[in-house]
Amino acid sequence: MLTKNTKIIVFFLLILLGAVLITYGAVFHSTNVLPQKDDGSTAVAKSEPALIKEASVGGLTRDESGKIKQTYTGQSPKACAT
Amino acid sequence: MRHLKKGTMVAMVEKTKLGNLASKLLGWRIWVQSAFLLVWLDPLGLRMHTMCSPVFHCYACPLSTFACPIGVIAQFGALHIFPFVAVGLLIAVGVLFGTLICGWVCPFGFLQDLVAKVPTPKFDLPKWTGKLRYVVLIVTVLAVPYFFGEGHWLFVCRVCPAGALEAAVPNMVGQAIGGKEIIWPNALKLTILGLFLIAVFFMKRPWCRILCPLGVIFSLFNRVSAFFLRFNPYQCTDCKECHKMCEYDIEPEKSPNDSRCVRCLECIGCKPGALTFGSIFERPQSEENNLNDK
Repeated sequence: MLTKNTKIIVFFLLILLGAVLITYGAVFHSTNVLPQKDDGSTAVAKSEPALIKEASVGGLTRDESGKIKQTYTGQSPKACAT
Repeated sequence: MRHLKKGTMVAMVEKTKLGNLASKLLGWRIWVQSAFLLVWLDPLGLRMHTMCSPVFHCYACPLSTFACPIGVIAQFGALHIFPFVAVGLLIAVGVLFGTLICGWVCPFGFLQDLVAKVPTPKFDLPKWTGKLRYVVLIVTVLAVPYFFGEGHWLFVCRVCPAGALEAAVPNMVGQAIGGKEIIWPNALKLTILGLFLIAVFFMKRPWCRILCPLGVIFSLFNRVSAFFLRFNPYQCTDCKECHKMCEYDIEPEKSPNDSRCVRCLECIGCKPGALTFGSIFERPQSEENNLNDK
């Protein structure tokens, strides 16, 4: 059984962890995304919010070499294919 | 009064301001859920899919304001990217409210609550079925996406009944109305949707209680969340009224912050008033009165 003080400490530690993760993800975290066609163009660094939007329409995939690739060229799909 | 061991020191727990507010809001729960539904259904057409919501609502739904956190975690897992925002959001919301989100905020839970009002016989499943939620979380949201990618048939979005109901069905209707070729979801997803639609008439919240991977994440925080259920053994008369009030087969006086609880808070309406809603930041009124007397 947790005491009230322990609960408050755990609460603050976890809320701090959540806030740090959200801030890091939203502001600092980015990943390089390659275009769908291998036309020699360079990878584009996309922020995590942009990656979330891409993921929500199934716009990204991981190729065999472990690189993140876009699944479309031009206009993004309207909804996730799954 | 419930018998306590001699010499046991138990702090008097009475209703706080928050507890009183929760009791008053109890009759309005359906309206609170409706108000939140408006937020999730994107009435302003904002499509803010760069952000996750803390609820189970498919981002492929034509009416969805935010991205589904479970879908994002699974998709990011398939890409081998850590989903900082989604995980941070679930920790922050979980540690604040626990499964209060399930009972009062989640649109998929609300849908099941509405269907449960249809007067059909309701059946209960064995308690162990609640553990299946961990299996769903570990297998379909974490392991399968990470090791096999989004193309695997057990990838959560490929079997999710919320996705089938909120996204596939409206999209198919839209395709049919528009005279386009109808894109059917896979057979497993349709089967799960069919089973869910049958189960929802004969069980209270079958998805939340047996399979929901988001609910099980929030339930992990129930014992440490800022808002929680308090039990006062001094006020309990052992009438078992709370057992009858609980639709989820929980014994609230034994485990008020049980991981299977969706925090509908129906049990705080028990006549002896032994169960109250509280937060870690407030002092029960009896303690405040004692301080004022000193």
